[in-house]
Parts: sequence; structure tokens; C-alpha cells
Amino acid sequence: MATDPTHQAEAAIRLWSGIEPPNAAARRGLEDLPALIAEFAALRGTLVFEDEPSSFEAALREEQEPGT
Amino acid sequence: MTDLAALSATEAADAFAKGDATAEALVRASLARIDAHDGQVNAVVRLDREAALEAATAQDRARAAGRPLGPLAGAPMMHKDMYYRAGRVSTCGSRIRGDFRPAVTATVLDRLDAAGAIDMGTLNMAEFAQNPTGHNAHHGDCHNPWSLPYCTGGSSSGSGAGVAARFFTAALGSDTGGSIRLPASICGVTGIKGTQTRVSRAGVMPLSFSMDNVGPLARTARDCARIMRVISGHDPRDATSAPEAVPDYEAALTGDLRGVSVAVPREWFLDGADDAVVQGFEAALEVLKARGATVTRVSCPSLAAIGTYVSVVSRVEAAAIHANWMREHPADYAIHLSGRLYGGYAIPGHLYVEALSRRGALLRQFCREALSGHHVVATPTLRMRVPTLAETDIDASPDNWARHMAVSANTRPFNYLGLPTISLPCGLDDRGLPLGLQLAARPFGEGRVLAAADAFQRDTDWHARMPPLA
Repeated sequence: MATDPTHQAEAAIRLWSGIEPPNAAARRGLEDLPALIAEFAALRGTLVFEDEPSSFEAALREEQEPGT
Repeated sequence: MTDLAALSATEAADAFAKGDATAEALVRASLARIDAHDGQVNAVVRLDREAALEAATAQDRARAAGRPLGPLAGAPMMHKDMYYRAGRVSTCGSRIRGDFRPAVTATVLDRLDAAGAIDMGTLNMAEFAQNPTGHNAHHGDCHNPWSLPYCTGGSSSGSGAGVAARFFTAALGSDTGGSIRLPASICGVTGIKGTQTRVSRAGVMPLSFSMDNVGPLARTARDCARIMRVISGHDPRDATSAPEAVPDYEAALTGDLRGVSVAVPREWFLDGADDAVVQGFEAALEVLKARGATVTRVSCPSLAAIGTYVSVVSRVEAAAIHANWMREHPADYAIHLSGRLYGGYAIPGHLYVEALSRRGALLRQFCREALSGHHVVATPTLRMRVPTLAETDIDASPDNWARHMAVSANTRPFNYLGLPTISLPCGLDDRGLPLGLQLAARPFGEGRVLAAADAFQRDTDWHARMPPLA
């Protein structure tokens, strides 16, 4: 069983999407995943239970430039 | 005698309306410029020479007959090769869609046609609009007219390079992470993306449906104002397009910035910025102050979260729409693109939903931080000086990945926030390559950024300078 994040990600992509790493650059691209995981970990707890994607369209209108 | 190819879009349309130039002469001047220089620049994918001349002749006849003229009548334009016109090949910068002939025409092309603009063909771009430098393995890289070894910025590479080289007066680009503003900055032209939902995307190649935007690259803010008026507004063919009325942006270009407060975030946008970028940016702020604006440094802690979420949204959405091709013929993509897409499949769905769900709250927070009591946010468009094609080429070396992705660090946050944002030229660096000033405003505040950019261009001539093409 692969244990490093890159190999785990490759296995998950193969399992869920049926896609193989197309080249070395793709594997290289996976190397930024640990940093991204850390960034998400730092944001844990900020999502409010009632938040949902449509809150963005509402915010666009609420924060609208006055007079437009 | 006036060099017709040197006219901006509004100058060309106004010259045509007044009878100072025929549409045919304007198109022929553009064609001559392309014939002379596109061998070096490689901005053009498809040149519809005869169709452009026929469209110009039709405009000339309309004027001679006294029929009403559109606001862009006679202005030669070309567009990124991802705006569908029924029956015309639209490659989207790719091999995969090398012979794709859409059955529909993009609403924005219909609107430009109705305004009298002359569509001369299609332009080079990053493959499927997915890199910030403009590299293209299938059509060949587009080159910066200011210095050919340098990148043009992307993904609207041909749009930026072609406007800068005076091949045409204006071009549509698209902007999901900076793809209008980056080539505008790097090629020394003016480009705007509107508020998310401001411009219809019907008949436009998708990349990331949450953050894709259509907008113009042109010489001046005035050009952008006129084009945005034409292309903006609700479209029944695009359910996401906003119903808000479209103002007359051009009528609001007064040059007066008295009472306008400009906010400069302390975080993010100047982190690790090149000295030449900082100098050009600070000089640009002085120009705004001289026009009557006040400048205030503000703190925006929201930018850290925004920087995390923005890349997740675009990567996952792009991965989803490319999944079939990534399974069936991944080798048809350039190395850098299949590599970039691949990482998107590793991001869990719940984190993608988190990124989308936090968007409204972070927009409100950013507006409190940066736009409470202020009208415009100002930043450099790039933190770095213009890089060369070689040093940002991932296909040649994966070691270039970090530099390649750093190009769009300052533009991406505004796609997540959905704010109207413009880039305009604000100087040349020590190597003679352009620097860009980025201005953003509240949702539907396109008029704000256009007015500030126009005021800036009344006191500077960076937008009027021509690249030294031989």
C-alpha cells in the first residue's frame, strides 16, 4: 500500500476517475498537494453550517457599487 | 497622413463615423500590419481576409446609404480562438478541437457584429485557456511584440500581442485567473474583466464555470468602456448572466478623481515583488493622487483564504470537463496542461464545495477590509517583471512550474471575488518591457475602474507607446 501523498493521490485518481498520470510533469504537479492540504487544514472551522455556493450571488448584489 | 493601424478602437470607429476613413481602408491597414509582422509575433491562428473585407464594404455601403451606424462600426477586431461562430473552426488552442466547428455563435460575437465591429479571424491562446504565460505547443508560442524572447502572458496571448502590435484595434479575451489582465499587462495594453455574471458566456469555450469571464483587450480604457457597453447585459442564452442594467461607461469618463479613495492592500500583492514592479506601481499611485484621488494602505487578512480557495475551484472544474479526454487521449494535450489538469482529480469534492461555499462570506469580508470607505483597490498586475518564454516553459522542464504559476498570483484573487478588475500599462521596466497597474472595484463597479483608468491615461502615455517591431 502506497503511503506517500503523491502515490496515494495517484491511486485515488486511478480508482475514482480511471485516469493515469500522463507524464512526469503530472507527478510533479501532485507535489504541491501537501502544501494545499496544510492550507485547508489551517482553514478548518471557518465554513459556517448554512454557507452554500449561492451565497456568492447574494453577496455580489449586497456589496454592489452604489448607484449601479 | 494618419496611420490607420495606429488608431484605437474608438478612434477608428469615430473616424469611420465622421467619414475620415472607410472601413475598407481600416481593414486593409490591419491586414498590412499582420502581413508585415505576424511572422515574428504568431498572434493569428486564422485570418478571414476576404470575409473581413466584405464586412467592411458592407459597413461602407451602410454609411453611404445613411443607415444608422453601430458604436464600433468599422473597427477591425480579432478574437481569442474560443468564441464560437457557427460553422467556423474554433480550436480552443488545442489539437483535440483542431477541427471543431460549433453549431452556434457566441452572444458576444453577435453583439459585436450588431455594433458594426469587423471580425477578421481568430487568435492564438493557451491551450484550452489554461496557462498564464501563453505557451502553445500546437499553434506555436506567441511572442511579445516588445521583445520576442519574452512571453505574452496568457491565456489570451494573441489578443494581448495583437493589440500591442497594432494588428487590430481590440480583441476579446477570457479571464478565469487573469487571462485578460496578464497579457494586457505584459504586452502593454488595457484589458478588463467585468463582475462575475456581467457578460454572457453563451457560445464561449468553458474552463471553470464559476470563474470564467469574457472581456476586451484594447489600447485604452475608453475603448474598453465602449466595448463593455456593447457586450454586457443579460442574455437569455446564459442563465447566469446578470439582469442589472448596463450603464453608459464611456459617458462617465470625466478624468476627475477628486473624492475617489484608492485602497492598497498591505498583504499578498507586493509579497516578493520585483523592485522595478514596486517602483512602477508607486509612481502610478502618484499619478492617481495628482488627479485628485487619495491613497490609503489597508489590511486584508482574507487574502490568505482567498488564495487557497481560488486555485481549487478552477482546477476541479477544469478537471471535470476534461475527464473524458484525459482518459481517452491524454497525449493530445501539451505536457504542462495534462499535468495541471491531473492534479485536479486529487482534490476531494467536499473541499471544492467548501471553496465555493466560502466565496460569499469572503467577498463580504474583502469588501469590508478593502472597500469600506474606499472606491478602488490598486495593485500591480504582476509581482514579477515579464519573464521569458524559456524560463516559464514547463514542457521543457518541470522545474519551471513554480515560476510559471507565480505569474498569476496577483490576478487570481479577483476571479474568486468576482470583482470588476482592469489592467492598464503604467511603465516600462529597465529592459523596456511593460508594467501593469491593476484596479478593482465593488461588484458592478466597472464604471469605477474604467473611470480611474481613463483618468490615469489622460496624464500618461504608456498606453500610446508602440512596441519596437522591426
